[in-house]
Amino acid sequence: MNYAMALDYQNCINCKACEVACKEENGVQLGADKQRIWIGVVEGTIFGKPFANLYPSQCNHCLDAPCVSVCPTNASHFADGGIVKVDPHKCILCKGCMEACPYDARFVDDTMVAVDKCTFCDHRIGEEGTTACQATCPTKVRMFGDLDDENSDLVKLLKTKRFFFQKEYTNTLPKLFYILPDDEAYAKQSVSHNTIIHTWAEIKPLYDVARTRRSKEWKR
Amino acid sequence: MKVEISRRRFLQGSVALSVISGATLSTTNIMASSKEKPKTMLMKKVPTICEMCVNKCAAIATVKNGIVTKLDPNPHFPKSRNMLCARGVAGIHALYDPDRLKYPLIRTGQRGDGKYKRATWDEAYEYIKEKMVKILDEEKDNRSCIGYCAGEGLAEHTYKTFMADKFGSSNFLNHATICLQTAVSGYTLTIGGYGQADLENAKYVIMAGANRAEAILTPDTMDLFKRTRGRGAKLVVVDPRYTNTAMHADTFVGIKPGTDLAFVLALTYVAIIDQVYNRNYVAKNFVDFDKYKKHIIDSEYTPEWAEKITGVPADTICKIAHDFMAAAPQAIYYQGRRSTWAKNDFQLRRAMALFTALGGGIDVKGGIVFGHRLPLGEHTTTAPMYANAKPRIEKEAAAIIGATGSWVAWRNMVAEGKTPYPIRGMFVYKQNPMLSVPDTAKTKRMFEKMDLVVVIDTMPSDTAMLADVILPECTYLEREDPVQSYASIEPAIIIREKVIEPMYETKPVNDIMRGLAEKLSKPLWEITKKYDEDVQEELETTPEAEFYEDGGFNLAEPFMHSQEETNKHMVVSKHGEEAWKLLREKGVYYPNMLTYFQKINNNTYECYPKDKKYYSVLKLEETFDATAFLHDTCVNPADIADLKRSFNTPNKKVECYLGSMVAKGVDPMPKWRDEEHVKVPAGKFKFISGRHAQFTQNSTQNNIMLLELMRENYAWINDKEAEKLNIKFGDLIEVTSSVGKIRIKAYPTAKIVTETLFFVHGFGAKSEALTFAHRNGASDNEIIEGTIEPVFGCSVMHDTLVSVRKV
Repeated sequence: MNYAMALDYQNCINCKACEVACKEENGVQLGADKQRIWIGVVEGTIFGKPFANLYPSQCNHCLDAPCVSVCPTNASHFADGGIVKVDPHKCILCKGCMEACPYDARFVDDTMVAVDKCTFCDHRIGEEGTTACQATCPTKVRMFGDLDDENSDLVKLLKTKRFFFQKEYTNTLPKLFYILPDDEAYAKQSVSHNTIIHTWAEIKPLYDVARTRRSKEWKR
Repeated sequence: MKVEISRRRFLQGSVALSVISGATLSTTNIMASSKEKPKTMLMKKVPTICEMCVNKCAAIATVKNGIVTKLDPNPHFPKSRNMLCARGVAGIHALYDPDRLKYPLIRTGQRGDGKYKRATWDEAYEYIKEKMVKILDEEKDNRSCIGYCAGEGLAEHTYKTFMADKFGSSNFLNHATICLQTAVSGYTLTIGGYGQADLENAKYVIMAGANRAEAILTPDTMDLFKRTRGRGAKLVVVDPRYTNTAMHADTFVGIKPGTDLAFVLALTYVAIIDQVYNRNYVAKNFVDFDKYKKHIIDSEYTPEWAEKITGVPADTICKIAHDFMAAAPQAIYYQGRRSTWAKNDFQLRRAMALFTALGGGIDVKGGIVFGHRLPLGEHTTTAPMYANAKPRIEKEAAAIIGATGSWVAWRNMVAEGKTPYPIRGMFVYKQNPMLSVPDTAKTKRMFEKMDLVVVIDTMPSDTAMLADVILPECTYLEREDPVQSYASIEPAIIIREKVIEPMYETKPVNDIMRGLAEKLSKPLWEITKKYDEDVQEELETTPEAEFYEDGGFNLAEPFMHSQEETNKHMVVSKHGEEAWKLLREKGVYYPNMLTYFQKINNNTYECYPKDKKYYSVLKLEETFDATAFLHDTCVNPADIADLKRSFNTPNKKVECYLGSMVAKGVDPMPKWRDEEHVKVPAGKFKFISGRHAQFTQNSTQNNIMLLELMRENYAWINDKEAEKLNIKFGDLIEVTSSVGKIRIKAYPTAKIVTETLFFVHGFGAKSEALTFAHRNGASDNEIIEGTIEPVFGCSVMHDTLVSVRKV
């Protein structure tokens, strides 16, 4: 198992169902700076005309997760399927992981006195097959799945689409695959010109190598 | 549903009932969990129907040790497309809201000061009884002296059955005239139904004013945004604001508020002059098209004319008209579900329907479709006749006042003391007129004039704080509601099952009505005997006990069976025992569900195979059956049935010219009337309101999970105009209209056209019993003027001029 998620971000309507479902499913502490999942909004005007782009996001569960490497107590670790998790009992709140994460995907949960983050709903994916955010989404932005399984809905989707990553330059091998819109005008509007566009055939060997290298650390 | 009328005179406009018959007790309603947990944890999954807004999405509640811990989408209901939005998921916090109404309350202080004492249900009923007996004695059994209103919901008709059919008041108000009455009626009188936009197949959609990304409507929202941006559906958004819907549009057109009619008329003009409309379809299906064509051309509704009014460039209008017709009949001028904007709203909706019809996009796949409704069993109850019950007070306020009345006209008459007979009291169920009806100060004056105000609700709303008696209803997760059949391309029957037992001393409305009716029946019967000459005459020949029962004067009779028994009968009588079992297990039923229903992947389920969907239905219908078509539940089909039948002629013609309207002083064809249009003087702003995806009007205002997403509302103001007024983001501004004044934080943005001020509805509660909602932002209805449009008496929401000042 090598869990990952594709996001057809162009479907997003910023309704925040995913955010609420995440909080209800996982008992996330409430508060403006406590988010396991969020929607990035970029808006402005082009020649006086307004535009806005939405980038739903969460932890990338990177194959080379810097938050895991930096943790002095092994509280941050890889769980089964490469899911990056925090063991609250080991967390000493040094916040090194929060500094290391390029995506700002971590926050302090004051009730657990530990760092908290997205877990890909690992307690429910066995039974339900989906994360809470995917299941509840009105426009079905997300597709959660197993990169190891050539027949998973996720890999089937990635084979038919081109995609990109957020902040690929940080070299963490992130696992949120942003699906490139087919519509050229919208792709141009919502993807930075220096963002690298990938295909599954081209990226798979790279991710396979990293998986082999790091999966030794994955806890069963 | 049917009501038998026992006596000669019947004054109530509507007789819809949800009633009852004998049936044995229901079976268990629990979907067994797929994984049996250890004995220490009792877990079950119960199918339910969301009530956080009006969409009725199917959900599955997870209950652990008696606590509802999660709400997930139920993929079986085709309408809700396997999703639950932010509000739906946050439904748990409606259930566990610490501010919920927990016990019956009786007012101890002055009206409005929020002082109440806890009472038993019997004490509350007793209080109501004493006041009712006194009022009805003084009003000589004129039942209409007690008004009543209700918000939309599955149990609305249970309440209405009591108030209208059994108690006998004709003064009913619901949300229709502060909602989409003009839209539903405009479409229904023109094309025979409001219909459903088939956004799964449409190729070109003009969405004007409607905001499907923020005002979520199933299945439209789900269908549309999977198909925008070059994936099949071209989307044109016409709006004074750049909304989240506009974000997905191929073309966004900023328009001045209240000028949509000019825009549609110009589109129509282009289509006709350039002969790009579907001439074959029009020849076959239109009646009086020549009149309409002549009217449009003679009136010179040119794009250049419209540009001056709307601010939309003439060439944009030409292009949209041509592109629309090129994609027709898979092209829709989207009906929308918005409230009434300007005085011409009825004509606007007619013009929209006609424009779609010009392309042939009615009753076809990818156009506006009518779908099919699965039947449900029905029952009769006897509505007693009260000789002294008078017709509703605001009959003359507009051309057509239906059984749901005109909220603003009714309120104005009561507040101003201009009613033909005294309105002494009011029952309010699941509605919060203090926040939802324009001109809050006047609504307050109305309530202050009343001798008895009873509020049935789950939350201590601003309106509840004006009540004499508050009766706590349980939330939707604690009750079974009347089973519902949804007409659609993919019709289905759904049921809201009780997830957990009612908390505190709350009750479902069926039980509340039963208790109240048992208390009131005999004392009110005595008053009827005292004043009702017809009854007196009848009693000369019929024994009293017999006439009391047969005449329907036992008001509790429709509420004696449990909701489960009633539902079982309604389903089993039409679809059999197996259907009932399946419905209770899955929460959804339609014929062949087990064979049709398929999982495509984790996101997508197919409920009906493509060739089994009800796209085109009109041709198949021999005679018009009003109940067989899709109607919005907001408007009672009976209100317009007598007009509608003539439109659903054997020829099924699209109506261009409404001759019947002429006598009522209504334009028979959509016409721009410059004198009706409110222009914005220099220095003023036109105020507009709207919705967003995180709250449902004001009903979710105290939900802590949703307040996490949006704490208060902000006033949108054009950034260039804000700069001139030195208003920056977060500055407090004072907004003043002729009826009120509010303070709110400013959000200067390029996303709104000039001369326009906007903030979302649903904030600004004043009730201090709402710990989290109270004094968050501002309430739009404190500044919106209480004016109505002339056809249905709908409240005009976007014609209020305001001035803005930084404080």
